[in-house]
Amino acid sequence: MPKALKINKSVDEGIKELLEFLIQNEKIKGVFTLKKMNDEGAVSYSLITDLDELKEAVPLYPFMPVNAGKVLSAFSLQAATKERVAAVLRPCELRAFVELVKRVQGSLENILLISLTCGGVYTLKSLNNGNLAKQLPQYWEAVKKAEIDPDIRVTCRSCENFIPHLADMTVAAVGKKDIDNECVILLNSQKGEDFALNAPGSAITEEMETADTEKLKKLRVEQKEKLFDDFDKNGVGTKAFIKTFAACLGCHACSHACPICFCTLCDFDSKSCEYQPLSFVSELSQKGGLKVPPGNIFFHLGRMTHMAVSCISCGMCSDVCPVNIPVATVFTRVGDSLQKVLDYIPGRDVEEAVPSGTYKEEEFAEVGEQ
Amino acid sequence: MKSAQKEKKSNPQKGKILPADEGTRKAVLDFLKKSLEKSYFDVLLIPAKTPETKSYSWILLKDESLLEQADPLPPVMTVQGGNALSSITKHGDPNLRIGALMRPCEIRAAVELFKLNQIDLDNISLISIDCPGAMPLQEYMVEPDKIADSFKTISEKWEISDTLRPVCQICHRFSLASLLPSSEPESSSDQSERVLPASDLHIGLIGTENKNIFFIPVTDKGKDILEKLGLSPEDSLQDWESKVEEMRKSKLEKKEKFNQEWQNKIEGTDKFVAAFDACINCHNCMRVCPICYCQQCYFDSQFLNLSPGDYLERAEKRGALRFPLDTILFHLGRMSHMVLSCVACGACEDACPMSIPVAQIFTLVGDQTQKDFHYVPGRNRGEPLPLQDFVEDEFGEVETPSEGAEVSTEEAEKNA
Repeated sequence: MPKALKINKSVDEGIKELLEFLIQNEKIKGVFTLKKMNDEGAVSYSLITDLDELKEAVPLYPFMPVNAGKVLSAFSLQAATKERVAAVLRPCELRAFVELVKRVQGSLENILLISLTCGGVYTLKSLNNGNLAKQLPQYWEAVKKAEIDPDIRVTCRSCENFIPHLADMTVAAVGKKDIDNECVILLNSQKGEDFALNAPGSAITEEMETADTEKLKKLRVEQKEKLFDDFDKNGVGTKAFIKTFAACLGCHACSHACPICFCTLCDFDSKSCEYQPLSFVSELSQKGGLKVPPGNIFFHLGRMTHMAVSCISCGMCSDVCPVNIPVATVFTRVGDSLQKVLDYIPGRDVEEAVPSGTYKEEEFAEVGEQ
Repeated sequence: MKSAQKEKKSNPQKGKILPADEGTRKAVLDFLKKSLEKSYFDVLLIPAKTPETKSYSWILLKDESLLEQADPLPPVMTVQGGNALSSITKHGDPNLRIGALMRPCEIRAAVELFKLNQIDLDNISLISIDCPGAMPLQEYMVEPDKIADSFKTISEKWEISDTLRPVCQICHRFSLASLLPSSEPESSSDQSERVLPASDLHIGLIGTENKNIFFIPVTDKGKDILEKLGLSPEDSLQDWESKVEEMRKSKLEKKEKFNQEWQNKIEGTDKFVAAFDACINCHNCMRVCPICYCQQCYFDSQFLNLSPGDYLERAEKRGALRFPLDTILFHLGRMSHMVLSCVACGACEDACPMSIPVAQIFTLVGDQTQKDFHYVPGRNRGEPLPLQDFVEDEFGEVETPSEGAEVSTEEAEKNA
């Protein structure tokens, strides 16, 4: 059975105690984690090096202002960090970072990856409604019972990848009835074990996957199947696709929030996708009218072909959309389908190449045959 | 400028009043239909309801039958009209005669973009319309029917409802006045002798109790449109003018209060920073802003990306470093780049996923800074952008310390 660290504090306080230990004993220079910005519930990822500032950290707060994969990519884009840091991030954020590392957009070196068995996050809008604080008890109840809080992101409700297999350390949350008094941090790798040496708390052994995580997985898969069923009935085909994106403003908030969309200048923001004068004339000669600015459907399909293979269904795209288009649902559905066909799970293994960048001589013969 | 105003008083502006028996929307669309039928325009640029949804999009419209779905004043402003227009002529004039019907703030944004070489106005006629405001976009997308109903009442009665977007509630530039070069404050630019109004033709709706609409020609192009459609501008505009003035005063009052309130809310570093506590640095505000036209925004570029060692050094200075980086720098930077052209359209606030009152903050700063430069964005196509214009006598009061505020050399050295 894998090793774990047990700290006799609430799961929030326990992880903070470990982080404090790591900084104080100079095992890490700093930690990337969520930090309170004000008393109204606003949080932001922060690279914290000072113990006083660490007091304001809220590592397990169920909110994702930005996908942390993007944050770590920005941090390690120019080079791998020479100083060791830790990062507390959710399973999907970790997978996103791994997908970015594969694309030479960051480095895993010298980063201690701390994750958790994940109960999901609330939408960005839930902060605006001022309800987030009131929701927290409900959230943690669901986590303890290995159930689904109905108010979390759609993508979270349908996520079966809530167990972070590539983390060095994992805070056991799902199904743990005693998280108000006990914090169990699983040590998933040699690196995790090394960093935990002499850490406060007692050494125990504990499995990451339990009957409770299995229970939640089943519930999440049920939700996913419902989501996909609904989409397959109403969202498939050209007409339906156009209807789904009919209200799109072309603001590209989705692509900019997406961790996988790393291009500094997206093709769809560049001149190459802007219409030449003749295109307007020619389209108008064929149709009675033309939506301007043009190219929204093309943008979504193009973005999809570029990144769906690595879509980790974090749900940031839907959250930032000003007109409530369920972008994440569409991309998750297509991503899931595409990933199955390619036998690929984004973020499961940093050595596994992205399929769209690999050549296999024999592949999809069944499609080529008449 | 002053002589133009005198001229206005002795030669009162005339327009054409048309009945709106089936409602003002129908009357406006009938006019536009005629302009297509008589081939005055090749295409129109107008918002239309997107089929099978309750949202609206800009349509470059050739086929008259599509006018059935068109609406000159939708309850929401989805894409800012300046952006829609800019996408059409960005790579050259398609040689289509376009009649573009837009809200005053969208017309003014288009004029600012014209000054920035982002729009070619040669083949475009800008038609402005009295604007009752718009409703918050995100609220509308959640409950379109309810919000559309509220808007119907608000726009018919010209109410200054607190359900309108906050920047619309204080907007005194909802009509023709600020689309004219003579709009207060008087320009300080020496180059403003080039007087080119923003709008070619204006459609007046206020003051008619929805029984009529007014067509007011502004430029020769505008006069030409009316003449070619057999509409001679010979009617008095008094009813419209007096109601516009009344509404303008009410809005200005609200604006005064707003300015005071917001000055208190965000003045000073601490308060300004706190306003952006919930900002996730997504840059939506910048992307929907008509004035932010840069292909690649500086704040999206790699200029701001540092090495891990540099990030850690910065983090250690303060004990913690917020990621994504440079949230406040982004807002202040964007502000310093565009606020002199800010037309207070509110697109930024509509697009913010964290409901930060971006438009209200930028409108406040825009208002104050534009006043300092005696500038109203978009009122005059011939008026140069303040930062592109050299005015010899300017801001003397800032350069020379005021009397009694003399600082001794000793003190100055101490304070340095």
